[in-house]
Amino acid sequence: MAELLKSFRPDVTWANAGGAWPDMIFSTRVRFARNLEGFAFANRAAADRLAEIRRLVFAAARESGMFPRGHYLKMEALGPLEKSFLAERHHISPVLASSVLPSGAVISNDEDLSVMINEEDHLRLQCLSAGFAIEDALRSALKLDEVLGGNLRYSFAEQFGFLTACPANAGTGIRISCLAHLPAMARLGRMPAALESLSRLGVIARGIYGEGTYVLGDFYQIANAACLGRSEEAFSRNMDKVIRNLIRQEIGARELLMKGAAKLKTEDAVFRALGVLRHARAVSYNEFMQNMSLARMGAAMGWNMGLDFSTFNQLTLLMQPAHIQAAAGRALTPAGRDAFRADYLRKKLN
Amino acid sequence: MKLCEDCHKTPAAVFLKLAVNNKVTGLHLCQACAAKKGAVYGFESGVFNASDIVGNVSDYFNDFLPRERKTLACAACGLKYSRFKETGRLGCAQCYKSFEPQLAELMARIHGFARHAGRGYAGGGAPEFSRAEASRRGEALNAAIRAAVDKEDFAAAARLRDALRELENRHG
Ligand SMILES: [Zn+2]
Ligand SMILES: [Zn+2]
Repeated sequence: MAELLKSFRPDVTWANAGGAWPDMIFSTRVRFARNLEGFAFANRAAADRLAEIRRLVFAAARESGMFPRGHYLKMEALGPLEKSFLAERHHISPVLASSVLPSGAVISNDEDLSVMINEEDHLRLQCLSAGFAIEDALRSALKLDEVLGGNLRYSFAEQFGFLTACPANAGTGIRISCLAHLPAMARLGRMPAALESLSRLGVIARGIYGEGTYVLGDFYQIANAACLGRSEEAFSRNMDKVIRNLIRQEIGARELLMKGAAKLKTEDAVFRALGVLRHARAVSYNEFMQNMSLARMGAAMGWNMGLDFSTFNQLTLLMQPAHIQAAAGRALTPAGRDAFRADYLRKKLN
Repeated sequence: MKLCEDCHKTPAAVFLKLAVNNKVTGLHLCQACAAKKGAVYGFESGVFNASDIVGNVSDYFNDFLPRERKTLACAACGLKYSRFKETGRLGCAQCYKSFEPQLAELMARIHGFARHAGRGYAGGGAPEFSRAEASRRGEALNAAIRAAVDKEDFAAAARLRDALRELENRHG
């Protein structure tokens, strides 16, 4: 089993329950897209220049003092299991995981700060915070950007701001996203209409791993679509408003599911789901997410699930395929993973 | 250049999409008029519409970018504009200059604005290049100095020489 996986701790600070609505908002992320002056964008730069960019970013990150005992990773030196593990932790994107050119990542020891190197842009730096914490995440990401931007030379122009490979990211280069758990709205079939109206607010919703991924366990990444022509603060205020609105809608949906005849049906679904998590002998990740989502909603409704939100959140990370193998300390077949997952849950939940 | 559809005086800098009674309409406005409208409709009240960019981004580019001659290309990295229309990815920072009018239109459609209004950037310190990178940049600067001297652009040559000296002082 790769040494790298052992060097990451099993639980992550930003996955602990935090913020104002820990039952609904799992985590908040603020990222900035940046590129270095004097180098072509990553899609058009030669391998030796990409290696030079990575060297410069590693050096700037070391000098910043913001990554003590951090991880400095070269993608081409990692195996598929290690890359999956990092993608499951939201430190690297599926795009970066499949890169064969000189690329990399710097990840802080607490795993709250990270920088992807030579993904679509030379730098994608981000801060992850527990719960609904747009202001905190923005402050930390701006600080990281300021320090790295002082040690490097970013591409910047008055008219278009920070220049990025895709014009959709230029300007502030900011993306603010919250990972929201919205099981009641999903159960009432309200998500399609909600997503439709989000798009009219300049906001996009995606699956749990970001762009082009499926919705799992009723978790949605909600993020700003536009990032030019307004200040970083204006974009975050807009997101704050949108998220608060979603929270109100989810609260309303929960009330409906708790009312009158609906209550027994809801309760039955929630406790059946808990039964699967507690007693099944083989559980796939998909099945885990579906049942966990219902149990998590039960906890939010005040029913005793025997688990707090921090534990739900940590399990959401730990039960992923590469994490299961890291916990087992060896590579497992899909069937082996499902059995290991069921055993783990049984011990944890009974 | 398109004029503001409200005051009809200043060039339009903003493409504001409005959803009124379930009908979506767009307005090209100057900064000042957009700000006035913003006070009424409010970006933060959610009238701003970016729904078009949900979905396949390259389809979006294909649909909305003005048709250009096939020959338009970035002088710095050689990326053809037609290639950008296919991939949605630019090749280098200079592409933003090479395709400026086209990008201003595209930016207005994607972001609702065509001008950055966030944090500025004063530029960082000179980064520590590797020996290979420093010598590569030195050669490029020397070639640029020769070209400037050939064109008798001595002011440019002097600027380039300063840059070369700075590079050599740091990495020589
Ligand atoms: Zn006007
Ligand atoms: Zn270019």
